[in-house]
Amino acid sequence: MHVNTRIMPVEFEYLEPKTKAEALEMLAKYDNVKVLAGGTDLIVKLKTGADIKVDYMMNVKEIEELNYIKLEDNLVKIGAVTPLSTIENNEIINKYLPILSEAIKAMAAIAVRNMGTIGGNLCNSSPAGDTIPPLTVYDAKLILAGKQGTKEVSVEEFITGPGKNILAQDEMLVEVVVPAPKENTGAAFIKKTRVKADISKINTAVLMERVEDKCVNCRIAMGSVAAKVVRILPAEEAVRGQKVDLNLCQKAAQIVSDEIKPIDDNRSTAEYRKEIARVIVEDAMKIAWQRSGGEKIND
Amino acid sequence: MSAMFKLVGKPAPRHDAWAKAKGDQLYSDDFTMPGMLYGKALRSKYPAAIIKSIDTSKAKALPGVHAVLTAKDVPMNVEISKFGQMKDVGGGFEGLYKVLADGKVRFKGEAIALVAAETEELAEEACRLIEVDYEVQPGVFDPEEALKPGAYIVSSDEGENESNLIMESHINKGDVEKAFAEADVIVENEYRVPPVDHAYLETEGGVAWVDDNGVITMRVGTQVLEHYRTIAKVMGLPQNKVRNMSVPMGGGFGGKEDITVETFLCLLANATKRPVKMVWSREESLEVHSKRHPEILRYKTAATKDGKITAQKVEIIMDGGGYKLLTGWVQMYSTVNAPGCYNIPNVKVDSYSALTNNTPSSANRGFGCCQANFASELQMDELAAKLGMSPLEIRLKNCLRNGDEICTGFIPQGHIALEEIAKKAWEGLEATGPKPDYVDGKKIGRGLAIGMMSYGRLTFMHDSSRVGLRIELDGSVTLRAGVPDLGGGQASVLCQIVAEELGIPMEKVHPYIMDTHLTPLCGTTTATRQLYMSGNAALVTVKVLKERIIKKAAEMLDAKPEEVQLINEKACLINNPLKSVPFVQVVGALSNDGVELFHEGQFNAPFTDVPNLHDMKGRIWPDFTYSAHAVEVAVDEETGKFEVRKVVLCYDVGKAINKNSCEGQLEGGCVYNQGYVTENMGWENGITKARSFAEYLIPTAVDAPEIETIMVESGGGLGPYGAKGVGEPADNSIAPAIVNAIYDAVGVRLKEMPVTPEKLLKAIQEKNK
Repeated sequence: MHVNTRIMPVEFEYLEPKTKAEALEMLAKYDNVKVLAGGTDLIVKLKTGADIKVDYMMNVKEIEELNYIKLEDNLVKIGAVTPLSTIENNEIINKYLPILSEAIKAMAAIAVRNMGTIGGNLCNSSPAGDTIPPLTVYDAKLILAGKQGTKEVSVEEFITGPGKNILAQDEMLVEVVVPAPKENTGAAFIKKTRVKADISKINTAVLMERVEDKCVNCRIAMGSVAAKVVRILPAEEAVRGQKVDLNLCQKAAQIVSDEIKPIDDNRSTAEYRKEIARVIVEDAMKIAWQRSGGEKIND
Repeated sequence: MSAMFKLVGKPAPRHDAWAKAKGDQLYSDDFTMPGMLYGKALRSKYPAAIIKSIDTSKAKALPGVHAVLTAKDVPMNVEISKFGQMKDVGGGFEGLYKVLADGKVRFKGEAIALVAAETEELAEEACRLIEVDYEVQPGVFDPEEALKPGAYIVSSDEGENESNLIMESHINKGDVEKAFAEADVIVENEYRVPPVDHAYLETEGGVAWVDDNGVITMRVGTQVLEHYRTIAKVMGLPQNKVRNMSVPMGGGFGGKEDITVETFLCLLANATKRPVKMVWSREESLEVHSKRHPEILRYKTAATKDGKITAQKVEIIMDGGGYKLLTGWVQMYSTVNAPGCYNIPNVKVDSYSALTNNTPSSANRGFGCCQANFASELQMDELAAKLGMSPLEIRLKNCLRNGDEICTGFIPQGHIALEEIAKKAWEGLEATGPKPDYVDGKKIGRGLAIGMMSYGRLTFMHDSSRVGLRIELDGSVTLRAGVPDLGGGQASVLCQIVAEELGIPMEKVHPYIMDTHLTPLCGTTTATRQLYMSGNAALVTVKVLKERIIKKAAEMLDAKPEEVQLINEKACLINNPLKSVPFVQVVGALSNDGVELFHEGQFNAPFTDVPNLHDMKGRIWPDFTYSAHAVEVAVDEETGKFEVRKVVLCYDVGKAINKNSCEGQLEGGCVYNQGYVTENMGWENGITKARSFAEYLIPTAVDAPEIETIMVESGGGLGPYGAKGVGEPADNSIAPAIVNAIYDAVGVRLKEMPVTPEKLLKAIQEKNK
């Protein structure tokens, strides 16, 4: 049948909790609840006929207590329904987690960023989701709440596959907690798209912690190269404890290119993704290193 | 001269600007009526199939469904496409047009049945219940394959069922073979250009109803009001009983030039006697409405050592898709523009167009011209590279100048500014500073392309336009014009011209537009013709009234008419402006005298006969607009990603009547065909892969480069005050300029669009091997 985006061919009850407790109660009470946290992915999926069972649509964007950004005990805490555009322009984020802001700035159009939320982007769990690589390298923890209590998981544990995550039917993501990076830490985010306002054909985030001329901790995350955003551990391993120079960046970038197993799709080809993974990881490492206070690496 | 104008040549806010800025303007979809039903088309699942049977019984039985129609319910299902021209052209130009598929399905998404139901969801459900028995056919998807003997035949209709050839057309000038034998250098290349969607703001749609007097009435945005005549034929009704009160559009770009929802809506409204709304989804629009013609263009060029082109031989194969629509006309543009905007003594062009099972091709801003311009401007740079000349040098050496003839032997009457604008665009880019080798690690390149494109329709169509004016007793003016306003200021500029001539402020002229039966027909908003045609019609009309007013004012001022001018809402003596009488008093005096304060005037374009398609000669269009784009790009050699950094464009616009609109068209056209380089419909065996704007990616505001617009005003156009048309020429030479700039940066020239980073990186790597 022809897809018709003028019609959302599903019927559901609409719920609009005003508090977290009310939302959790609704999740426990009803079956087949879909959480609407901006809808920039969910509504499109429903209109284009994705196989999503939804009897209740619960809009959480009106829950004010889940809309915040704060710094507490050296932890940056972001409420799950905080709009992407709020995060992008927030001072705490720009100071402590600059590549999260950069990644959001490079996402879609302003109207979409006003609607979309950080929780929505994470729970949509796309392999191309632009907030995921930065949160992965920043070692963010996600707080999942249910009526029975809360649990804390890493981004990598949370997402299990394209559009898939470990959220139980009666749970929701309520908060993103990111440790403020240590001194002498730098990060970079790079994405490649077809036009500027586009889904990533590939993206990467790199974080490097420096002691003198050595990198003591390195995290590299890649998007759109696998079923989910992935860390490239052999490349991180190759960098850790090493003196950082052009040679090391190129070596690590080559490992990334060799390790990933991307696919052909309508945004790009596997061959091209492998080729430019090398280029963007090398560039991202150079930027991250310089931002950590390391010496500029020239070609 | 320009100092004498009060309004012409100035930036003028349009009459509808505020309504649009505030969201008050109502478009096709923003209209409902009591008791309105929703229409929906059932569309073919396959690009090529034979319809063996259609069973609509289950759909008809669904409660809330008021009509289910198939081809047999259409009084005249097959018609010949007409586009408002005064002349029956014949000769293969007027293509078969079908309302609903019968016999063979010719492309994926072709409409097979229509439904009207209480809600859009019910209409959709009813479509699902219609059972179509298809016998799937292999189909043919490549125009060259389609032209081979034994190819799958796309059509089962009479006159089209023996071959897929739509039309062939030829130009023969001089002796190309002799020139090739004597040439110092020969350059030979093949170029390929893809289909393009128009991507207007709103999709095709509208509402139709039967009015109190039995007139089928529509509210549908279209570029061609005159389609009401074809719709009347389809309905089996007289032409005075089918009316379109059209609405402003958020862009047409040629995509609303063919009939879209009109016949569907009228059939459903007539069958149900209820108002019916139909609005296509974006998916539907991307898949089924016509696209820009994909073409294969093969060039062979001969030149002397010092860069003078002596011969150009071109073969063009056009993909017409499932229906002919406007292919024959588009072919005229590709064929005659194939040699480019150059003075070449020996030219041979052979063009062929074919039916295939792809989405039909038809009008798209540029209309066959930008395909040829892309190929010929790449070919020029290929030749320049071979001869070691600069892109500017080779163009200046060969470009058309006043008095030169084009490949059909016709000598354009309007001013030819190619030399001036090529220099101005290139020097404008150079003036931004010397070209750096690298910026931010990316290789910088600069490119140039120039072009020509007609304004006004093919002269053998015998084009005309009419405008009506009435001077009200308070000195305001009512303008009536059947001018489809696509958002280009097509109606506003007519008010500007009338206000200028009558010496009154623009806001005192109010336009009533776009009604097939209550406004004088202006002809189509296509072919870059409205300013030229309707602007002249407005001028012809207002001058008749102006003469009456001046004559009366002269009486009142005790002067001779030639001593009187109209300015600042007064009639005054040219030599003594203090001796004056208010405009409104002159109008009152004329009214007392019983003098007619209204007039409807007509302007006719030059008329010619249909050319001999085997040897095209003479005038094909009224005149041309000339363009030049100088472009700077940055190319990432490691990823193949490129970015357009700067564009300096220069046009001879003749006279910029509304400076804002003119500049807006030139910049809009530039970004429109910046997208030509990268947009991708993703056609695969008749299936459109790009089904939404998340897949069919057009440049948005953040992708637009820095654009410097230089408008040369030679006054040498055939429009009012020497204006030329710019709507379509605006997108003409930007795409080849970008590809030529990429060559300048990294030394590879991709001869097939879209140019993607994936393809470009591969080409760079191969070159560096």
